[in-house]
Amino acid sequence: MLPQRMKQVITDNPKKLSDLIDLVNLPSTLREFMGLSQTSRLGCFKRVWSYIKENNLQDPNNKNLVNCDEKLKRILLGKSQVELAELPMLIKLHFPKQQK
Amino acid sequence: MGKFPPSLRGAKLPFNTLMEKSPSQRPPQTSSEKPPYWVTSKKNPKRKPTKIPSEIVPQMPSIPFNSSTLSEAKSLFNQLISTQKKTPFDLKFCNSVLQSFSSTATLQDSIFFLNHMIKTHPSFSPDSSTYNVLLVQACKAQEFSISSVHQVLNYMSSQGFTPNKVSTDVAVRTLCSCGREEDAIELVKNLSGKNLIPDSYTYNFLVRQLVKNRELSTVNSFIKEMREGFDVKPDLVTYTIMIDNVCNRKNLREATRLLGILSEEGYKPDCYVYNTLMKGHCMLNQSGEVLDVYKKMKEEGVEPDLVTYNTLIYGLSKSGRVKEAKKFLGVMAETGHFPDAVTYTSLMNGMCREGDALGALALLGEMEAKGCSPNSCTYNTLLHGLCKARLLDKGIELYKVMQECDMKLETGSYGTFVRALCRHGRVAEAYEVFDYAVESKSLTDVAAYSTLESTLKWLKKAREQGLAV
Repeated sequence: MLPQRMKQVITDNPKKLSDLIDLVNLPSTLREFMGLSQTSRLGCFKRVWSYIKENNLQDPNNKNLVNCDEKLKRILLGKSQVELAELPMLIKLHFPKQQK
Repeated sequence: MGKFPPSLRGAKLPFNTLMEKSPSQRPPQTSSEKPPYWVTSKKNPKRKPTKIPSEIVPQMPSIPFNSSTLSEAKSLFNQLISTQKKTPFDLKFCNSVLQSFSSTATLQDSIFFLNHMIKTHPSFSPDSSTYNVLLVQACKAQEFSISSVHQVLNYMSSQGFTPNKVSTDVAVRTLCSCGREEDAIELVKNLSGKNLIPDSYTYNFLVRQLVKNRELSTVNSFIKEMREGFDVKPDLVTYTIMIDNVCNRKNLREATRLLGILSEEGYKPDCYVYNTLMKGHCMLNQSGEVLDVYKKMKEEGVEPDLVTYNTLIYGLSKSGRVKEAKKFLGVMAETGHFPDAVTYTSLMNGMCREGDALGALALLGEMEAKGCSPNSCTYNTLLHGLCKARLLDKGIELYKVMQECDMKLETGSYGTFVRALCRHGRVAEAYEVFDYAVESKSLTDVAAYSTLESTLKWLKKAREQGLAV
């Protein structure tokens, strides 16, 4: 069930949702990380987030920070530490808007 | 704080979710999807014939009809009789064979096949349920006319089974379930012309389908034609259905008109009509009016029930008259009605609206002390209220309880909670709430993620302006 307001947004602007769930051909850096050649932005976010959890990459003193390992660094602009709050924006960088 | 939609949603959702838990509550407050109780309850005995085909379905796998060719079906059937002498070869089995075949074959072939079955297996004497199998298939066929339905009905009469009200009901229900309401109207009119007038259940069912799925003018013209052509008049139930749906569409003028007609026709509005009206006022954001409806009810000598009180308390809470709403808790106790989770949740909602989230939390204790167990809706309302009142710590406590009980989060409270966590710089916890929302299937991935993403975007902006942590 989608919230009412979102339903409205989707009917007004189907592009917005499709940006999130459409499968996209991945750039080579991301392909290596995901092990897939195609994924959606949402799928990519969930994969990265579960990767962080699996490998306990959250900073023990401040859970809002992520200490990137080599693999993660490669897809997050080479930063050694990122804030969780930035994560969606950093992932979005790999999914440029498609011009049609 | 000033955001209107979430708080509004917070008010509406609890209501709907709560309804499902208490069937006794249903009639006046449920959305248009659910039939008012009187139809469902009285319907059951009558619906039996309709159900027969579906009961057969589970048996289907035993008789595989891979091809829709008549000759192959015939030979398969012959084979079945010759080999399965020992197994009981009863009516139900034959019906299921027919059902299985007709779902793949054309109607004409199905009729031939039935004839073949009767010929080769003389102990099989089809009854009305057998013909209903054919009828259902004819209604399901994606055609643009109802000629096939008539074909079956004629075939039935030729076999000595005059189509009756049950056949009409079966046909109308099947047609409506396939979205062929227009055909259903045509069929009902045709049959009424042949002196087969639909009974009030069929009639009300069709009206309900029409108000739900078609323009109001279609319904009105159908009612008019039935009244003028065949002297079929809408009854109190019909009017209640219509008022309910009209209110859902926020068409108060039509509701008032219907109410006028209702009394013109000599019907005295009952408790359900009043409840529907109250609900209508709530839906139209004129919650204050519920009190007037209640007064009118009292004047007319109609005894209010639990739903009335719940709607009343909901309406008053929604319009910010919590004090008056609380008074009705006392009135309820006097009249011997026990407040339930809906009552308390509505009240809590009202208190949260006023910013008295702690008071609402206290009410939760009172409620549990009285032996009324809160449901997920109660918790969602409270979570929403606590976060809005900037009592995040209490909110987190509550969320932990919800997690333990595997309760689902609602969109409104999820959003408010995530925003509150982010505002306090507890992004990691917001991520965990996101995980829980997805795991518990409270929201779709997309909805949960969109909320999280937009919240973080907002957080970034706020940080740039030096507003948030």
